[in-house]
Amino acid sequence: MPNETVNSRPVVRSGIASALLPGLGQILLGERYRGAGILLGFLLILATTLWYGKPVWYVSPLLIWLWNVWDAVSLAGGRKRSILLPLFFGLAAAYGIGWQVVEIDFSKADMDRAMAILRPMVRPDFVQTRREVNQMWVPVQVPCSSEPPAARREDAGRIATVIPDCGGVGETLIVTVSGMWPNAGMNIFWQNPIGNPLMLGEGEITMLTLTSDENGSITTTIRVPTTALVAAPDPTLPQFHRIYFEQYRPTGGYELSFIGSEVLKGALATIAMALLATGLAMVFAVPLSFLAARNLMSGNPLTYAVYVVVRTLLNILRSIESLIIAIVFVVIVGLGPFAGMLALALHSVAALGKLYSEVIEGIDPGPIEAIRATGANWLQVVRYAVIPQIIPPFTAFTIYRWDINVRSATVIGLVGGGGIGFLLIELIRVNNMRGVSAVFIAIAVIVIALDYISAKLRERLV
Amino acid sequence: MLRIQNLSKTYPSGTQALKNVSFDVKDGEFMVVIGLSGSGKSTLLRCINRLIEPTEGKIFWDDLDITAAPPADLRRIRRKIGMVFQQFNLVKRSTVLTNVLSGRLGYVNPWTSLLGIWSQEDRQHAIQALERVGIADKAGSRADALSGGQQQRVGIARALMQDPKLILADEPVASLDPVLSHSILQYLEQLNKEGITVICSLHFLDLVHRYATRVVALKDGVKVFEGAAREIDRAKFKEIYGEEAQEVRAASL
Ligand SMILES: Nc1ncnc2c1ncn2[C@@H]1O[C@H](COP(=O)(O)OP(=O)(O)OP(=O)(O)O)[C@@H](O)[C@H]1O
Ligand SMILES: [Mg+2]
Repeated sequence: MPNETVNSRPVVRSGIASALLPGLGQILLGERYRGAGILLGFLLILATTLWYGKPVWYVSPLLIWLWNVWDAVSLAGGRKRSILLPLFFGLAAAYGIGWQVVEIDFSKADMDRAMAILRPMVRPDFVQTRREVNQMWVPVQVPCSSEPPAARREDAGRIATVIPDCGGVGETLIVTVSGMWPNAGMNIFWQNPIGNPLMLGEGEITMLTLTSDENGSITTTIRVPTTALVAAPDPTLPQFHRIYFEQYRPTGGYELSFIGSEVLKGALATIAMALLATGLAMVFAVPLSFLAARNLMSGNPLTYAVYVVVRTLLNILRSIESLIIAIVFVVIVGLGPFAGMLALALHSVAALGKLYSEVIEGIDPGPIEAIRATGANWLQVVRYAVIPQIIPPFTAFTIYRWDINVRSATVIGLVGGGGIGFLLIELIRVNNMRGVSAVFIAIAVIVIALDYISAKLRERLV
Repeated sequence: MLRIQNLSKTYPSGTQALKNVSFDVKDGEFMVVIGLSGSGKSTLLRCINRLIEPTEGKIFWDDLDITAAPPADLRRIRRKIGMVFQQFNLVKRSTVLTNVLSGRLGYVNPWTSLLGIWSQEDRQHAIQALERVGIADKAGSRADALSGGQQQRVGIARALMQDPKLILADEPVASLDPVLSHSILQYLEQLNKEGITVICSLHFLDLVHRYATRVVALKDGVKVFEGAAREIDRAKFKEIYGEEAQEVRAASL
């Protein structure tokens, strides 16, 4: 093998070259891309580990450097080494550093908190058993005036009285109600003059719930809530508060709960928001797409300039996430579905404009030529050769966009863009996990249903 | 009579597709244009109805100067010239009937046609045209649901709707197998016998021998032969198609 002795000099030379500058030896041996790749990879990993600053990871660029010398030497002998090894070194460092940068820490997870959130979610607040309500109230003066009127009220055979007729904050009152449903649970709560309910149970944070006797009567003592006068403009001025008595009983069947109806409204608002945004976007995207179609616009320098400008604008607009546009619009037009709709529409103009223009660029010139040959005028050519070619794909893309917009609309709601997303963030804020769970289910149903419908519709168009 | 005088076409790219081509086509002729790929056949045919604007030269149809016709006149000329294409050029997503009806666009009221409204008469006419090419049962199908041979028959029916005096056929059978080629060319031959002048570009010499009443050959945009098909001997053939060429027969494919 005389070749090996002859080649021993390049072996040494490329080895040294690569030791000085990773990849240099490979480049000298004619493997330009390999050498450049090695150099770039090495520098990348070196920079990353230096930036992170934990010496353990310096081992990665070191190993890559060693491999690179070995590879240069082998290459001079005519053998390429697999790049899997340095790739592995690099990835190991990248993942290790990434793991620490992201601050992954499973010990932070709190199972109790998780359960407190998840347990109510098992029972989404969407429907409730249908029930009727039996409500009664009696006025009480707080604080006492010199001559308080009797704290007694009669209504449809029900009588409620309070003794004494008035009281100050924290004082005890004896409350009696009769003529209610017998042997049934009853909620008793306070309502201040501006209509806010205050709890009367333990620590004033729970509902006072009692059971009526066989005559439908209850007598109990309560304390005037400590917060009864918090909202009063002048705490010394006597005002009428109310004590409410409420009984519920099922009447069979189910009905939409309050949250449930809010979820439905939100879902409809979201779908409508997406629909309106898509429609509005279509109106602007159709003419723009013609200006952004290369085959129509490359005829002369002026139209080509228009093409370049429109294309660039659409590309820039498309690259801005609709969520960010929404934040801007929330500032401009205020919270609500209108801001969300405008944001979606703006983003969709760009997205649809591009898709439409690609449809136009892809139309078959054959039919256009054929219709022109029949003696048709320009409008007839458009109507018979262009429109049939673009309508189905335009429609398909529009439906697809609507589908995407419904999804985006839920997210945009989170930043104040209205609809079901806004409801979701409100429910999370008040910690109503049953409501949150209902919203999740509604979003899932909408997305899956629309996905299916849009796929079916588009199938029929191609 | 169609009279082509010193026709030249230079594309914006600089390609000279036709160089000073002159010949006449008498009424009732089945004129075949032959030549290698890129010799300018398609360009020549499209210059006749000005789908492509000629750079120089004149085309007279009887006493009418097609090359000088203003747009409205040009459309009136075009509606008398049916055209059949290699790729059929049907609107694939439209029905066969709509494709055939569109041949009538040069005649009907432009505004009603924009609404897609067609007279009963035109519809009957269209069905008759489809019957002539033997596919009336396909009237309601989408054009792209048809086979190549059927699509080309729709193309002929569309040309028929124009009530043409002249039919330009640009390699009408190049996408079809030999058997279908003959059936399509027989329709054109039949129309020719009924008095419609046909100008048709073809690739296979045996088809040329079979159908042409006269032949024009192009080479690099220059007319290198004009005469009867049987006058194309070995020497002429080599001149048209180059030294390397072998005569290929459609039937032997
Ligand atoms: N739109 C165009 N722009 C620029 N050059 C063109 C255009 N159309 C055709 N040419 C060129 O003109 C020349 C003649 O083309 P043409 O299509 O007329 O030839 P052809 O004989 O029909 O060929 P084929 O048998 O392949 O259809 C070719 O060199 C072609 O590249
Ligand atoms: Mg051609």
